[in-house]
Amino acid sequence: MLSEFAKVLLFLIIGVIFVAGGLITNRLIRPHKPNPEKSTIYECGEEPIGNPWVKFNIRFYTVALIFLIFEVEVVFLFPWAVIYKELGLFAFIEMVVFLLILILGYVYAWAKGDLEWDKPKPKYLGFEREKREIEEVQA
Amino acid sequence: MEERFIIELTQSLKNFLPEVSLTVTLSLVILLDLIFGRRFKNIGAFVSLAGLVVTLFFTIKQYGGSYQIFRGMFVVDPYSTFFKFVFLLSAFVIVIFSLQSYELRETSARRRIGEYYFFILSLTLGAFLMAGSVNLIMMYLSLELVSISSYILAGYIKESERSSEASMKYVIYGALSSGLMIYGISLVYGLTGELNIYAINASFLSSGYSPIVLMISLVLILAGFGYKISAVPFHYWTPDVYEGAPITVTAFLSVSSKAAGFAMLVRFLKASFIDRTITLGIEGAWAVIQGLPLTEIVAVLSALTMTVGNIIAIWQNNLKRMLAYSSIAHAGYILMGVVVMQNLGISAMLIYFLAYLFMNLGAFYCVMLVAEKTGSEDIEVYKGLGYRAPFLSIVFTIFLVSLTGIPPTFGFIGKLYLFSALINAKVIWLAVVGVLNSVVSLYYYIRVVRNMFLGDPESGKEPINFSPAHIVVMLILVIPTLLFGVYFTPIVNFAQISVAMFGLR
Repeated sequence: MLSEFAKVLLFLIIGVIFVAGGLITNRLIRPHKPNPEKSTIYECGEEPIGNPWVKFNIRFYTVALIFLIFEVEVVFLFPWAVIYKELGLFAFIEMVVFLLILILGYVYAWAKGDLEWDKPKPKYLGFEREKREIEEVQA
Repeated sequence: MEERFIIELTQSLKNFLPEVSLTVTLSLVILLDLIFGRRFKNIGAFVSLAGLVVTLFFTIKQYGGSYQIFRGMFVVDPYSTFFKFVFLLSAFVIVIFSLQSYELRETSARRRIGEYYFFILSLTLGAFLMAGSVNLIMMYLSLELVSISSYILAGYIKESERSSEASMKYVIYGALSSGLMIYGISLVYGLTGELNIYAINASFLSSGYSPIVLMISLVLILAGFGYKISAVPFHYWTPDVYEGAPITVTAFLSVSSKAAGFAMLVRFLKASFIDRTITLGIEGAWAVIQGLPLTEIVAVLSALTMTVGNIIAIWQNNLKRMLAYSSIAHAGYILMGVVVMQNLGISAMLIYFLAYLFMNLGAFYCVMLVAEKTGSEDIEVYKGLGYRAPFLSIVFTIFLVSLTGIPPTFGFIGKLYLFSALINAKVIWLAVVGVLNSVVSLYYYIRVVRNMFLGDPESGKEPINFSPAHIVVMLILVIPTLLFGVYFTPIVNFAQISVAMFGLR
């Protein structure tokens, strides 16, 4: 009898053979006729423009984080909704508390302007620089 | 079935009130700061203080009980409650520091000050959970709650490059060691199929284990703990983070996050790796399960930690950096209490934590005040300070003397109990290393004192004045340091009752 981990190993080996075997067979039997059109990077049929290594706006991350919070919320809401009738009032109150805490976070992000896209750039005034400038004015 | 589940849940919630009240407080801080933050700038601080007092009330009510809640996720016992007192006290003091901190007042951090108190409270909440959790996943999650809050706090002064650098380094080291730790946890889970530390222990005793795999997983998990308590092979982040973070945050990290790491470490070692079928004949001694050199590992860790911390501290000229290395050394001293594998050692550790709370927070407070008045944390500015600011210098000297462990200060009592626990358990070599280290530490602590009182008295710089609020805070911290150095019986009794952990002798 195979132990549980041996089964995992077996799966791993079969998986590697499956992928590698497919690629190698393809390589052996396919015709090889490249042209510039074919060897461009596939970008959903569009003409690729520029380098893919561009800096993303940092605001994407904020939005992604807020999105993540609500995604997780839904994961918690589904099982609760399924057995809501059996659990009754207690579970309802608990879920309301949970949602209130989440909404608080959302309201905070909103009020702090993290959902606005065209935010004017804040003027950067370094701590050290600020101090120096104050000293210069005094001198 | 559901009925019973709900009853159990409500019962658990009743025993979870300190954490609940902290959660309510931190939500209120955010909400009230959003509504009234423009008009009352310090509303976050005052709400936090009120919330901490309420939490203290619930924690006091909880003291003495010993039970498991949330189906074996948490325990409430005197041991965790003792640590909760430490966290609450330090959070309280830190909020007061923050009200007076120039770094938070004079930078753009003042516009985000509500969030700052939110993170202070969430770090405290994480530390509460760390002290009480008995499930490996819950331990890991609460450790992450503490870590993530401290990453953000370390980089709170956005304009300061040092602060951002500190935060970045902290995140990278933290990610590495928490990765190692979760890997160790997965190995333990693979070995036993359990996540509750009591169940893990039962599984070790009943169905055996492979010592080598257990050893590897123990070392990996120790990496996670070692990072939190800044023990030596995992201490690299400490000096940079402590130097770069705002002083209030540094002081908070050096007490709360370290105490939380120790609380969890000791519970984990004591609950998982002892053989309860063997009795050693000594009251309160634990027998480590067979084939695991746990005592030796922790002893070497302890000796290394204090030696490296103390020796590098000698070369530091930045006071914050020096105190960072000194806090590494203190982690080594506190680890001595774990080495003995006896309840005596744990009670010595608890006493030391109370001492460390007052003297370390006090020392950081003095550094903060001097940095505010002179604009520097360098040891040079301390020259002749004894003549310019006599009160602060005397108070600072008391804290430094206490950190060295010289009577009649609280630090001495802490060290006395640690060393006597070691000698009781006949680990003489480590005690010798510890004493030698104390001598080394005397040099760099006294160097500051020498600079203050013997360094150019004739410089004729004008005296530095402090507001009554500053003097009151200094007094609040210095009085216990001196008082408990002389009258320590209540503290010792309190610590000896508090070693009781749920389900363990």
